Amino acid sequence: MAKHYDDDEEDEEVEEEEDEMDEIEQEEEEEEEEEEEEDDRKGRKRKYKRSQFIDDVAEEDEDDDDEKEAPRKRRHRRGSEFIDDSAAVASDEDEEEEEGEEDFIHDEGADLHDEEEARRMHRRPPSLLDQDDQNEDVEDLERMIQQRYGRQEYEQYDESEATEVEQQALLPSVRDPKLWMIKCQLGHEREAAVCLMQKYLDLEGQDPPLLIKSAVALDQLKGYIYVESEKESSVRQAIKGMRMIFQSMVKLVPIKEMTDVLSVEKKSIDIDKENWVRVKSGIYKGDIGKVLDVDHVKQRATIKLVPRVDLQDVLAKLEGRDTGKKRMGFKPPQRFISIQEVKNMRIPVERKRENSRGDYYDQFANMRFSDGYLIKNVSLRSIHTREVVPSLDELQKFHKPGEDENADALGLPSTLSSRKKGHFMKGDAVVVVEGDLRNLMGIVEKVDEDNVEVLPKNIDLKGNVTFKVRQLTKFFKTGDHVKVISGKHEGATGMIVKVEDISVVILSDTSKEDIHVLKDSIVESSEVTSGLSKLGDYELHDLVLLDQTTVGVIVRVEPDGCQILKGTPEKQEVVTVKQREMRKKIFDKNSSAQDREGNVLNLKDIVRVVEGPFKTKQGPVEHIHRGILFMCDRHYLENGGFICIKARSCVAVGGARSGHDRLPMTPLVSSFGGLKSPSHYLQSPSRSTTNDHFLASNGHGGRHGGRKGDDGLIGRTVKIRQGPFKGYRGRVKDATDSTVRIELESQMKVVTVRRDQLSDVGEVPANFRESPRDGNGSETPTHPSRTPMHSSYMMTPMRDPSATPIHDGMRTPMRDRAWNPYSAMTPLRDQSGDEAILGSWHSRAASPYQPGTPIAHRSYEAPTPGVGWANTPGGNYSEAGTPNDMTSNYGPPSPYIPGTPGGLPMTPAAPAYLPGTPGGQPMTPGIGVLDPSSPASGMGGHNSEAKWGLPDIVVSIRKPGGEPQIAVIKEVLQDGSCRVALGASGEGEHLTASQSEMELVLPKKNDRIKIVFGEMRGISGKLIGIDGGDGIVKTDDNFDVKILEMDFLGKIAV
Amino acid sequence: MFFHIILERNLQLHPRYFGPHLRDKLVSKLIHDVEGTCSGRHGFVVAVTAVENIGKGLIRDGTGYVTFPVKYQCVVFRPFKGEILESVVTMVNKMGFFAEAGPVQIFVSNHLIPDDMAFQAGDVPCYETSDGSVRIQKDSEVRLKIVGTRVDATEIFCIGTIKDDFLGLTGDPGGAA
Repeated sequence: MAKHYDDDEEDEEVEEEEDEMDEIEQEEEEEEEEEEEEDDRKGRKRKYKRSQFIDDVAEEDEDDDDEKEAPRKRRHRRGSEFIDDSAAVASDEDEEEEEGEEDFIHDEGADLHDEEEARRMHRRPPSLLDQDDQNEDVEDLERMIQQRYGRQEYEQYDESEATEVEQQALLPSVRDPKLWMIKCQLGHEREAAVCLMQKYLDLEGQDPPLLIKSAVALDQLKGYIYVESEKESSVRQAIKGMRMIFQSMVKLVPIKEMTDVLSVEKKSIDIDKENWVRVKSGIYKGDIGKVLDVDHVKQRATIKLVPRVDLQDVLAKLEGRDTGKKRMGFKPPQRFISIQEVKNMRIPVERKRENSRGDYYDQFANMRFSDGYLIKNVSLRSIHTREVVPSLDELQKFHKPGEDENADALGLPSTLSSRKKGHFMKGDAVVVVEGDLRNLMGIVEKVDEDNVEVLPKNIDLKGNVTFKVRQLTKFFKTGDHVKVISGKHEGATGMIVKVEDISVVILSDTSKEDIHVLKDSIVESSEVTSGLSKLGDYELHDLVLLDQTTVGVIVRVEPDGCQILKGTPEKQEVVTVKQREMRKKIFDKNSSAQDREGNVLNLKDIVRVVEGPFKTKQGPVEHIHRGILFMCDRHYLENGGFICIKARSCVAVGGARSGHDRLPMTPLVSSFGGLKSPSHYLQSPSRSTTNDHFLASNGHGGRHGGRKGDDGLIGRTVKIRQGPFKGYRGRVKDATDSTVRIELESQMKVVTVRRDQLSDVGEVPANFRESPRDGNGSETPTHPSRTPMHSSYMMTPMRDPSATPIHDGMRTPMRDRAWNPYSAMTPLRDQSGDEAILGSWHSRAASPYQPGTPIAHRSYEAPTPGVGWANTPGGNYSEAGTPNDMTSNYGPPSPYIPGTPGGLPMTPAAPAYLPGTPGGQPMTPGIGVLDPSSPASGMGGHNSEAKWGLPDIVVSIRKPGGEPQIAVIKEVLQDGSCRVALGASGEGEHLTASQSEMELVLPKKNDRIKIVFGEMRGISGKLIGIDGGDGIVKTDDNFDVKILEMDFLGKIAV
Repeated sequence: MFFHIILERNLQLHPRYFGPHLRDKLVSKLIHDVEGTCSGRHGFVVAVTAVENIGKGLIRDGTGYVTFPVKYQCVVFRPFKGEILESVVTMVNKMGFFAEAGPVQIFVSNHLIPDDMAFQAGDVPCYETSDGSVRIQKDSEVRLKIVGTRVDATEIFCIGTIKDDFLGLTGDPGGAA
């Protein structure tokens, strides 16, 4: 032993341990004396002394700390003390690495204790036998122990005063013995360490002694032990012949890591019943649970979880069937288990009583359930206990439906207690929720760590009152405008619509969705945002590429991902993706698509959906991708108003807002005729474009004719033959001898083209009728109707109404409109602020439920340039212009009503016009088989189909000025008009209606129908399905299934 | 609430309108410009009732436009928290319904609809009591109380409640009112 210590001293000359060394020397002297006296017994005595000493130390150490193996000598004691110091500095980060399996450890630990006990017993007898020795040694021993403890106290005191620098000095250096990591058999770590210790003792004093300083087995490190020694060879020698140690695997631990090896993590598991915990692994990973019981000794807790149990799987296992679908990573969804359901599935359920808690629970498949919750006994290591803050969603999920509100109340304190500090700010309105001053309201004056100074609202209380954070909660009223500052909805703003205990419901400003958030995570704010709008490079409403074929629009940004509306027009699918799953942003500024009418659609063009589930939705195109549009309808509340739709299912409503020249031009102005560009558009969105177009041309042509008179080209539609705009069509706005300024139909542009590059498309009227047809390929029936209208109306009369009446009508109606609630015309009701007045008026007027009033509109919209396109398909306009619902819904208050049917008087004169009115739907065959050559044939086509009436068909009759009525055709007269009986089943009075006054009633699914147009005219059948604009018809005679356009079908009266 | 107030505005007029009808022109332009607009401060300008004074025009350099300061009387409508309004329902969905009282749009969340009324989806989505006696659907007339307003520079949006005494349906769609 002396030798050993000599070695020690040679190696380490640590200055600040001089005291200790003195003591050691003392000790050594004593021992040397003994040596002299009792030379013969030397070895044995020393060994005895030593072993006593070690036993003490070992016991003491084990009391201190389970983790450490008994050290075998003082050197080590010093080291271990030193290490205890550093333990305080130990980080918590290792925590996660040592998961689970402590069953193992504990069992093993217990075994080891036994083993040690046995060994001690084994060792003791010889020492007891040596009575003499013992007597002699008692004094020495006493002295030694005293010295040791005395010193220890002193040291401890000293160490507690030790500064950081001194502690640094204690860190191992190159001169200290090194630490070697040795691989050993799994589960035999402690055994190996103990054996090494024993070996050391056995060989002590012999030659050669075991030159190791210590051996350590760590509980958390499986399969390795550490040995402290100067040289690797010493280690190898020490482990030689030990079967549980793999001889070859000796590794040096770098000096820097040496402290880490023996760092002891301060484990203060502050876990209590009713706490929230989060499971670390397994299928419940990440789930929250509530602690029912904690066993600190066994380091286990009983927690309550929402089960993730697939009963089918359980059943399959019970029946011995291998489901074969061991899906890795598959988590059954969280679901409460109903025992009844389990029993119904013939899974044996045992009802048991738990001893400790006295609760009953049901057990099957080795799982315990209570009230639908899974009761699980887990080790404390496998759960996160600290700073577990369940989100509101989780709380709600955890809260079993049907349970009373107590559950919420239970959730409340732990939620509040675990909330983060610093969420109160000066000026917050708060209410006291705990203590004598409960329900006191006040304003936060000062926040200081855990204490909050509050200025009470109650005037009786003078001065500030200080509360703990947990005693307060923020106070909000319904209607407050707030901002979410943390959580999933971070950044969103909205108005509070409902206040609950710990949460509030907010109506988001932008998405108009309900958001459920905790009170703690909101602050009052007047700012308006949509929440997060950026994630990395991606912004809200960006078009992104998800994979090779899928694109989507970001409709919501969350802190860790985006919600994306996929580009699948068939169904509106929203997926949440992480940032890395988004391939890239797609820039589609210049992309375009064609709508149903063949019009080119660009971004920001306003389109209207004409078929499918989103029929009548309308809004600007936000993105275009391969014929798929992402449009935004402000009235559509889901997905931030975004709708993914095929371009073919839409029609363009107006052009993009021109953005320039919004100078409001009153009709008076336009009647001056001195106007430049804007006046070309007598745009009236609520009217059929045909009319509008027609008027425009008339007014325009007339004006120019009056002014210039010499150039017949102005006002005509021409086609460009050459140059960059080859193939484009447009209206001539101005002409000189050599050049012509043409407003293109397809683009918001006026271009100057040389005269010789034009191909004139004929006379003005013809132009208007024919031109869109050529370009479009498909055609609405409204087009042919222009001709009759046109021809029946001379230019002159048309021009008059466009001037005078407008002039008169403009002021009064306008004022009217502004505050007449029924007219619903006031601007900015729902439009974003960025839209200018005219723009918003325009779009509003064009929206379906706002019947436009032609005169008023014309007067206003007339000068707006480019608000509507000349080639805008008339579909929606004509619908909006249809006077029927207007008159019914909006009664007399509107002064324009008389003016409204203004479109109507034209119509009887043009019989073909009316059938075209309802949204351009009646797609007569004449249109399908387009005859591009002559307008007359188009007309003819329509006329030939004019006699479409068939007995028993339900129609809606619209007499001029009257409301539409449902009637049933009883008889078809020679001239195409029909005798009809009013009422849905034809029980009302009979009258005669002309073809033009009748409209087919669109049949619904499963209605009996008759085919009205086409080859199969007259055949009856049943409508068994509707697919967009097509109906699937099963004919009566041969049960054929045909697909026909819906407009070809007439409903048969029941 | 409606107010009759005097406001001022600078109007720019193109020189081509200078002539005998200049004043008319200005008035019509003023009306066109302001009626129906909304300012966060004053609310919606409902109607211009009179032009008080038109100041001297100032010719702008370069453009030839002339700026006239115009003082005018107008009726404005500004909704306030706690105000009770009659409105017409414009849209019903599961989260509540939107109603309009003149120019102002009001959202009534389903949290602010009495608990005995439940949303019924279908062709005509509506909120209905269980016995069917009260039914709020599109075009219904509803008396409501404003509980919150959000006033932007160009828009006023309100949240209303019908969860209070004497609030709720006052007229069915199509009913004379």
